[in-house]
Amino acid sequence: MYLYLPVALTSINIIIPIGLGLVVGLLSGLFGVGGGFLMTPLLIMLGIPATVAAATDSNQIVAASTSGTYAHWKVGNVDFKMGVHLLIGGFIGGLFGVQAIKILKEMGNADFVIKMTYVLMLGIVGTYMFIESIHKVEEAKQEKESGVAKLLRSLPLQTRYEKSGVTHSAVIPVVFGGFVGILAAIMGVGGGFLMVPVMVYILRMPMHVVVGTSLFQILFNCIEVTFLQAYTNHNVDFILAVLLLLGSTVGAQVGAVFGRKLRGEQLKIILAVIVLVVTVKIIFELTLTPSLLLSQAGGH
Amino acid sequence: MKISNFKSQISKFIIVGIMLLSLMTYSGAASAELTINANHDYITIDFFYNGSTVSVSGSSDTGTDLIIKITASDGHEILKQKGKAAGFLWMNMGTLKFEHAPNLYFIHSTKKIDKILSKEDMNNYVIGYPALSKYIEITPASKDEERTKWFGEFIRYKEASKLYASSSEQINTTNENNRQKYYMKTDWPYQAPPGEYLVTVYAVKDKKIIEKAETKVLVEQVGIIKMLSGMAANNGAVYGIISIVIALGAGFGVGMVFRKGGGAH
Repeated sequence: MYLYLPVALTSINIIIPIGLGLVVGLLSGLFGVGGGFLMTPLLIMLGIPATVAAATDSNQIVAASTSGTYAHWKVGNVDFKMGVHLLIGGFIGGLFGVQAIKILKEMGNADFVIKMTYVLMLGIVGTYMFIESIHKVEEAKQEKESGVAKLLRSLPLQTRYEKSGVTHSAVIPVVFGGFVGILAAIMGVGGGFLMVPVMVYILRMPMHVVVGTSLFQILFNCIEVTFLQAYTNHNVDFILAVLLLLGSTVGAQVGAVFGRKLRGEQLKIILAVIVLVVTVKIIFELTLTPSLLLSQAGGH
Repeated sequence: MKISNFKSQISKFIIVGIMLLSLMTYSGAASAELTINANHDYITIDFFYNGSTVSVSGSSDTGTDLIIKITASDGHEILKQKGKAAGFLWMNMGTLKFEHAPNLYFIHSTKKIDKILSKEDMNNYVIGYPALSKYIEITPASKDEERTKWFGEFIRYKEASKLYASSSEQINTTNENNRQKYYMKTDWPYQAPPGEYLVTVYAVKDKKIIEKAETKVLVEQVGIIKMLSGMAANNGAVYGIISIVIALGAGFGVGMVFRKGGGAH
């Protein structure tokens, strides 16, 4: 059955967005990522205008991350204190990131910087997670990090994060949240796939709490983005979002259940493989001659 | 005096007669000789809309070739242009503005257009892609070589979106009672936005357009589609809040359902 999408001005077979939502929601519940880096390009491939795809994806991530956060919260896997600190940093970083994009656009090489940031960040994160998870270099790392740990401990506002079982200066999550916020704004993504490694490798949080906490902060980011997109750009397609969330909310619950059955290392390896596959796909897109040399311009 | 008055009356009568006759040769003949009818001239976009079909039919003099053009009014389109950065990386390198570009352009004919119509008439009536290339302004593309390249890419982009099409096989003709009946059925793409579209049929003889007739197709959103697109465009804040509240509700709702279902674990 086909439904017409009033903002995307296109028609779609409902099985496709519901199925896509289910798969991306599953990843969301499993790994604590919003899945925008997968969903938005897939929607564009289906003929949804790029700007509508990105805005509508934010709206459906609100539903998927609510569903996922709720599932993880039920089993005590959401560190709200850590989530709020990351959010504060992410918000400030986002403001800087938007300014950086403006400057890059004025300089005329925004697209090049965005694409390169995307490939480098995905490639570095994916490779690091993959190698680390395979070799389990836990002991060696602890030795290496002892100096860094000392430095982190010397920072003010030392705070105990009970759910995560770690103690850090509150400055740390704010700063790293800000760093992810800047990159996310530049790359035009939610940043879940960057936030997860930050929480795992820098904040040393257990993988299952990382997933729940990441979803919690993604939820708030996407509420903000959805509102701004609807208010300023009029790009949110409500019907498409409903179709996507029908799949993603269920997928997020199933993902959370599956995630509890997998070990943290297994989750990291699977996420690393997905991130690397997406990186390779982007590299192919950059190097192979595209079928069309013109595409819809963003914005209005 | 009477004779001169009579002569003057006669000459006025002849002048008016010639004027009327010349008028009839073009517009009058278009309605009397060449006819056009679109069977589906009002297309409504509702919740389950997935495109439509439009049939164009009518009659013309026997021995004439026909060209049917369906087009939206002129607009402008800004598109991103891909190019190679650092010699090997394909990415967006800027934007191109296509001025006077109709959003939809279908051109169908009984034979290949360049075989039946002179270049002069093709350009005058903007019939066929070569004529359209002269009509659309592309900025910034100053050199002829650049213009040709990007116009070709524009056509490929529009054809991929199903908004431009060109063929010389879709019009069926039959001869009945010394008249030529024509009929064409074409898919109406769901990608065509709401608006008014002009359908023109041209009768061609000896490489010249001798008659034309027009009709219109109106595409309009209705019901919930009209309400939602109106709200998204005119009341973005309320639309955004409703979208967020429904997403939150759906997320919690499904969470509650799974909580109940998960009680058995």
